[in-house]
Amino acid sequence: MKKMLTLEVNGNPHELAVDLDATLLRVLRDQVGLNGPKKGCDSGGCGCCTVHVDGKAVYSCVCYAHSFDGAKVTTAEGLSSGEELHPIQSAFIDAGAVQCGYCTCGMMMAAKQLLDECPKPDEEQIRHGISGNLCRCTGYAKIVDAIKLASERS
Amino acid sequence: MSQLNVVGLSLERPDAYDKVTGGKGYPVNVKLPGMLHAKMLRSPYAHARIVSIDASRAERLPGVKAVLLPGDVPQIKFCPVFFVPVQAPSMVLDFDVMNGERVRYVGQPVAAVAAITADIAEAAIDLIDVEYEELPAVFTPEEAMADGAPRLHDDAPNNIAKTPFFEYGDLDKGFAEADFIFEGTYETQRVHTCYLEPRVCVVDMDRQDNVTIHVTTQHLFGTREKLAFALGIPESKVKVVKSPYIGGGFGGKLELTAMEPVAALLSKKCGRPVRLEQTRQEEFITTTRNPIKVYLKTGVKQDGTFTARYAKSILDCGAHATHGSEVIMVHGAFGLFFNYHAPHQKWEGYTVYTNNMIGGGYRGYGAPQGSFAVESQIDEICTKLGLDPIEMRLKNARKQGEPHPFNPAFTLATYGLADCLREGAAKINWDAARHRDKGSGPKRRGIGLAVHPVWVSGCMGFPDIYEHSGAIVKINRDGTADLATASMDIGSGQIATLTQIAAEALGLPPGAVRMSSAGDTDNLPFDAPTHASRVTYSSGNAVKEAALAARKRLLEVAASMLEVSPVDLEVSNGKVSVRGTPVRGLSVAEVAQRAESPFVQMTAQGPQPTVMEEKGTIIGLSSLAPKSNPTPCAAQFVEVEVDTETGEVSVLHAVYAHDIGRTINPKAAEGQVEGGFQQGMGYALMEHIQFDPETGSCLTTDFLDYKMPTAVEMPRKMDSIFIETDEPTGPFGAKSLGECCVITPAPAIANAIHDAIGVRFTQLPITPEKILRGLGKI
Repeated sequence: MKKMLTLEVNGNPHELAVDLDATLLRVLRDQVGLNGPKKGCDSGGCGCCTVHVDGKAVYSCVCYAHSFDGAKVTTAEGLSSGEELHPIQSAFIDAGAVQCGYCTCGMMMAAKQLLDECPKPDEEQIRHGISGNLCRCTGYAKIVDAIKLASERS
Repeated sequence: MSQLNVVGLSLERPDAYDKVTGGKGYPVNVKLPGMLHAKMLRSPYAHARIVSIDASRAERLPGVKAVLLPGDVPQIKFCPVFFVPVQAPSMVLDFDVMNGERVRYVGQPVAAVAAITADIAEAAIDLIDVEYEELPAVFTPEEAMADGAPRLHDDAPNNIAKTPFFEYGDLDKGFAEADFIFEGTYETQRVHTCYLEPRVCVVDMDRQDNVTIHVTTQHLFGTREKLAFALGIPESKVKVVKSPYIGGGFGGKLELTAMEPVAALLSKKCGRPVRLEQTRQEEFITTTRNPIKVYLKTGVKQDGTFTARYAKSILDCGAHATHGSEVIMVHGAFGLFFNYHAPHQKWEGYTVYTNNMIGGGYRGYGAPQGSFAVESQIDEICTKLGLDPIEMRLKNARKQGEPHPFNPAFTLATYGLADCLREGAAKINWDAARHRDKGSGPKRRGIGLAVHPVWVSGCMGFPDIYEHSGAIVKINRDGTADLATASMDIGSGQIATLTQIAAEALGLPPGAVRMSSAGDTDNLPFDAPTHASRVTYSSGNAVKEAALAARKRLLEVAASMLEVSPVDLEVSNGKVSVRGTPVRGLSVAEVAQRAESPFVQMTAQGPQPTVMEEKGTIIGLSSLAPKSNPTPCAAQFVEVEVDTETGEVSVLHAVYAHDIGRTINPKAAEGQVEGGFQQGMGYALMEHIQFDPETGSCLTTDFLDYKMPTAVEMPRKMDSIFIETDEPTGPFGAKSLGECCVITPAPAIANAIHDAIGVRFTQLPITPEKILRGLGKI
């Protein structure tokens, strides 16, 4: 059973025939062809799949794609404009916040939600803002540094 | 040490840009034309005989392309651990991919399906009817070792897979000489490495048995050797493709599982590539750190000098030995036996089969379980005898220049434990913090320390373990260089560190060496796995050697061009110049262009031959074993706050001081250490794979049930100090880093909790419930 769905993904329009039980993550990876949203647990526990839907961060692995007809979706690929990196992306590089990188795209989308709502967060706000996203490599210290840096730069 | 220009800089990771813009290079992204999707059917019983399997309903499901049953799988027993030969005599050869007779743990694969979508494959495995005859199961090593317990493997009486021991001296004499004897039992739990990229493979196997595999692995050549053996084909038939990145490993992707051979055999049946991706639930029953119970007895003099040490360790390896045969050895050697001096010592280990899930590798590889016992008990000794915990450790520690404890052919050429303790103590203000008032309210503060005195930089000198590396370095005509190795960057940073080592050796500027993102086991030299803290030291030495070979050739061509002797030339920052005459020189690009230019060149005077000896790509190759196995060491200090009303423990400050030799990339090194603390803190306070004690099925199947630290639980302050020593056998003085930082947190935190509330915990994890129980509040 499929349903036609219109999504704007990173500024590009997509007309998609999606299975009713297909998650947004599956559609973004398998039908739109993106790598940024990643499957870490497929059960809303790790945050690797975090994307923005109409400006709000969601775990794309636990929501059905068909429920977002007409929505604007932003993934890590959509953060940069052309060759210019988004301040969050460049801050993640500069602060050394990227190790294996598997959590990175979801983590940046959580950071973006935080900075959209609270442009100058303190450390506790940063830590709580990314507490729905797991990282196993970094101990989060350099991720927190990166978000502080992104906040200072913008 | 001459001046270093690239080594020691916190250069940006070359892989970071791609990873923040989407991240293309993970195995999970690999898609091949015509690719099918596979799922495995797993046993619901912990111990059962398979009576029959009927897959006819699954085969009829539209979209199903092939069903794989045990009868389709070569029945071969082997050791699936990557870093040992497939039939290593020191390992236990009890693993099989799939058998049709018996299941020994919940989750053991019994059949598999390939279909046009993963959903259809999933639906199809539910249509496979398996009739089981349940057998009595056993879930604790003590019960498994008892007479009359169900026997898991015919050749293992009392379910004992392996019983190694080490001893020297006269234990009775040593204990008789002691002023005090301390005894305790220390237990650790089963935890998962929690790499975030699940295991996945895409395999293409043709009718002539040629196999190409893309896979989440920490070892290309181990995957080749074990997969070929499991399939019963020559290993040259298997090509393992290097993925630019792996989404974490931490030791958890160090062995062949059923996944790879199952996907290969399904691919051969269908004539199409097959992808098999494990779910997170499957991950939790695929690999684990083995739980070990340690009984430890130590004799000491009044001043804290050890007179005798005895330990007995019981490791629950689950249904198959796999890593358990080696984890027990490393645990005994580096967790207990070699870490300190004692005149009389004995250790005995038991690797015991149970109907639990099989074990695996995990950073520290047996040492965290040993260190928890040893470093906790030293703290108990210090408390009882009123000794200073720093002095107590130094009194019994090894010294720089001593023979290496496990291989007298090597020496401890660099050993900075005393400096680590001194600098770490200063950073956390140890003397003042120890004597501070703990507080009288519900929240009490405490401080603790633990060290890891002796560890490895790879496996040089160990029986039955591979330890050699190779590299290819090629200088390009634009003055840059390409580096190719089979060493896998699993997030640990070798794309940065190995290219920095190559640039330093070549005399190129920062950023001028690129790690090749292409390569496979057909065209890369062997490298042992990314494990055992080995890559910076062992692979680093191979990379340096290959770069020096390329540099030698570069100078030969430049010498011909400048009409001087190569010995009069030097290369620095991308320029070749005559020593002492820096204006006379050439860029590396000019030399490489000359080397790769046509031999006969057209000039105004017509075709002119040039110098034949200058021609040829400037390339360097290496394949070598390292000269030693230098030990890194670390001292760790933590400050905790214990809420005596809720039982919650917060780590406020963590300080590490490491001797890792020369630090190649300080920011990358800090990242390793901070991530190591996270894993060690999770082990100390919250992580625990739990099973239903009646059925043996895993209860912690996702990250909602399996708790690991988020950014909120982590300490607000983490400091990493690197005591720089200059290891003579290391690349530019480097040793290794990856694991000491994971080993020390659990005992350091337990010791700090004891300091805060006066209660000693000897079972991990130290949960709020255990704290409240320890305080007598529940």
